[in-house]
Amino acid sequence: MDPSISPTQTSRRSSLYRRHSQLNAEFHSFGETIAVHHYGSDETTQAQNLGLADLSTLPRVGFKGAGALAWAEQCGVHFPQQPNWASKQPDGTLVARLSSSELLMIGDYSGHSPLIDRLAAADRPERVYPLPRADSHSWLALCGSHAPDTLAKVCAVDLRPQHFENGRIAQTSLAKINAIILRSDIGNLTNYAIFSDSSSVEYLWDSLLDAMAEHLGSPVGLQALIDNR
Amino acid sequence: MPFGLLKYGLSSEYPAQQHFNPAADLKKHYDVVIIGAGGHGTGIAYHLAKYHGITNVAVLEKSYLGGGNTARNTAVIRSNYLTEEGVRFYRESVKLWQNLSNEFDYNVMLENRGQLTLAHSDAAVRSFRWRAEVNQHMGVRSELVDRQQIAELVPNLRMSEESRFPIMAGLWHADGATARHDAVVWGYARGACQRGVELHQLTEVQDVEITAGRVTAVLTNRGRVGCGAVVQAVAGASSVVANMAGIKLPIHSYPLQAMVTQPYKPLLTPHVSSPHVHVYVHQTSRGEFVIGGGSDPSPLYNTRATLEQRESLSAAALELFPFLAQARLLRQWAGTTDMTPDYSPIMGLSPVENYYLDAGWGTWGFKATPICGVSMAELVATQKVPDIIAPFALERFYRFEQINEAGATAASH
Amino acid sequence: MKILTCPLNGPRNMSEFTYGGEYHPTPDHADASAREWAEHVFFHHNTAGVVTEWWCHNASSYWFLAERNTLTDEVLRTFDCDQLYNQRIDFSAVTTPETRK
Ligand SMILES: Cc1cc2nc3c(=O)[nH]c(=O)nc-3n(C[C@H](O)[C@H](O)[C@H](O)COP(=O)(O)OP(=O)(O)OC[C@H]3O[C@@H](n4cnc5c(N)ncnc54)[C@H](O)[C@@H]3O)c2cc1C
Repeated sequence: MDPSISPTQTSRRSSLYRRHSQLNAEFHSFGETIAVHHYGSDETTQAQNLGLADLSTLPRVGFKGAGALAWAEQCGVHFPQQPNWASKQPDGTLVARLSSSELLMIGDYSGHSPLIDRLAAADRPERVYPLPRADSHSWLALCGSHAPDTLAKVCAVDLRPQHFENGRIAQTSLAKINAIILRSDIGNLTNYAIFSDSSSVEYLWDSLLDAMAEHLGSPVGLQALIDNR
Repeated sequence: MPFGLLKYGLSSEYPAQQHFNPAADLKKHYDVVIIGAGGHGTGIAYHLAKYHGITNVAVLEKSYLGGGNTARNTAVIRSNYLTEEGVRFYRESVKLWQNLSNEFDYNVMLENRGQLTLAHSDAAVRSFRWRAEVNQHMGVRSELVDRQQIAELVPNLRMSEESRFPIMAGLWHADGATARHDAVVWGYARGACQRGVELHQLTEVQDVEITAGRVTAVLTNRGRVGCGAVVQAVAGASSVVANMAGIKLPIHSYPLQAMVTQPYKPLLTPHVSSPHVHVYVHQTSRGEFVIGGGSDPSPLYNTRATLEQRESLSAAALELFPFLAQARLLRQWAGTTDMTPDYSPIMGLSPVENYYLDAGWGTWGFKATPICGVSMAELVATQKVPDIIAPFALERFYRFEQINEAGATAASH
Repeated sequence: MKILTCPLNGPRNMSEFTYGGEYHPTPDHADASAREWAEHVFFHHNTAGVVTEWWCHNASSYWFLAERNTLTDEVLRTFDCDQLYNQRIDFSAVTTPETRK
């Protein structure tokens, strides 16, 4: 196992890293990035009940424009027919279709996405514009059997598993800020990936933890998600 | 005491005051027809009759006297605007307010309580400094105050540095005032009608007759009324009425809501406004706390009140005055406000020769009532645009010469 | 809370949207006068009745059009703006006597 490292060792840091340090987080490197490995013990079980993880340093990117979808198709990307759905690529990257002209690509938990690397380096035709989602948006994961109850307190869209299938996306208001919520279960673990403006992620993190308290939720490291696969 | 009051109320020695004699029939022709019997319409009629000897005037009102925004506003009177044109105009109005009760011998209950606007960000402090400089230069009492001075001016304001948006500084406007809104329109209407002006309620203008570029008549639900000139002063209905005369305006009509609590003992002297948390609060002489804020999020010709607005106004008011958590709300209401892109009015000439505009009063037009009466009457009587309103011509939008008061108006009115 | 149906995201609370002004066709950008542009930018019909207007769904930055009755606040229909805008317009800077002023 990696020895513990400091989040300030690289320039790609989460806006929440000071909060993690205060919670005695242990940081490890995952692929090319550094993320919280764990805070305490037995987080695998905690994640099954209710956990909140900060994955903001992991890779993701967006492409938008009238030519974006056709170009992605040429590059061998498989995306859903309907907007507001996501589908998995062979390398583990999740491709979320946000509209008829916009895709969001999210790497898996390894911290490395061959697809994202390939598209970022590829030549883009006219009317395809890259969106630096890894810089503009934070990425939180809210998981566990009480995640739907928690979201019901801060979001008006019905996100309960029986009404919101795995792979579906809601672009909506979460604790009064704009968010993209993507249900991306981990094995049997109900999980929601939440992307929101990184400038307000401290507020969102605190708000979610506050909403989680009644269900005994707490922050978990990335390792807890990996261990639940 | 209750008995004494009852005796007074029923005594023939103190009859209920008649503000005007309801005019019977509409005449075939008036020299001037004024559309809308709010403070502006009646104020213009009063000045035409008293100072220009033009008394063959009808004020046509589709509903009842002063039932529009004049009845619905929160009566903030101030002149601490940002542009020279704006400050000069509102400064003259604030001066006229001081003598208004004497002017028409009717008590408007003017109270010079002062107005405090709060800054919760560096940017707001900078813009307040700018406003204070412009104001002082123009002879308006306006100054930047620090947290200590704010705490002295308003002892029960929450000054905590722990709050979401701590108060950093304030703009103190000693000339800020408030008045009894209904009394203004009643005073003007009575004074106008005593001099021969006719007020016709339940008389709606439904179309405007234009012949060779001049207005010749208005068509109402009570028939055709010929006229030598028309002034429209219909606030929220500005676009609808102007459209009858073929005039397009840069206006959107938005609801603006406000609410009051039950009366309490006197606790708050100045008017306190926070553009940042979107609320303003003052206590009336009757003891009610008046709470207002920003407009509704989209245009609407409807004066319904909404739960969302009540929730957001309450939340914002509690940020500033936590003790209001115990207060009970008595009423909540809305008016339709005629919002312009630059938050300044549209006054003066129109593309139709003898058709005059008094529009674009949005959320800020009550304080301007006296100066509108003076300047619009002068325009109609002399057909020359008075200097003080020249900058507010409709034409300014075509010349890209807007008078931007958005920052100095927002949630302050 | 009023509900508005977003063509992309479905029915959502009104608070998720921002009003974007009346829809009126853009003037011919090649030869519109400054006066026409002023009218396009600042002036509105402000109709009391059914109007077509722009709305934005904040969380998805998605702009669409709605037909709404401004007397009753009823929304009659919402639709994608592709139905009205289906080609890209490029603006090249032009200098006219008016803009030089
Ligand atoms: C909640 C609220 C708070 C406000 N607070 C402030 C404040 O604190 N300070 C401030 O300065 N301003 C404030 N305002 C703005 C202010 O109330 C108005 O700008 C001002 O009262 C306009 O006066 P008016 O006489 O032009 O219009 P109104 O008083 O609205 O009178 C217009 C009249 O025209 C009539 N009318 C309309 N159409 C027709 C027709 N076709 N035929 C005949 N009659 C017609 C209407 O029935 C109405 O009576 C506020 C407004 C609201 C709604």
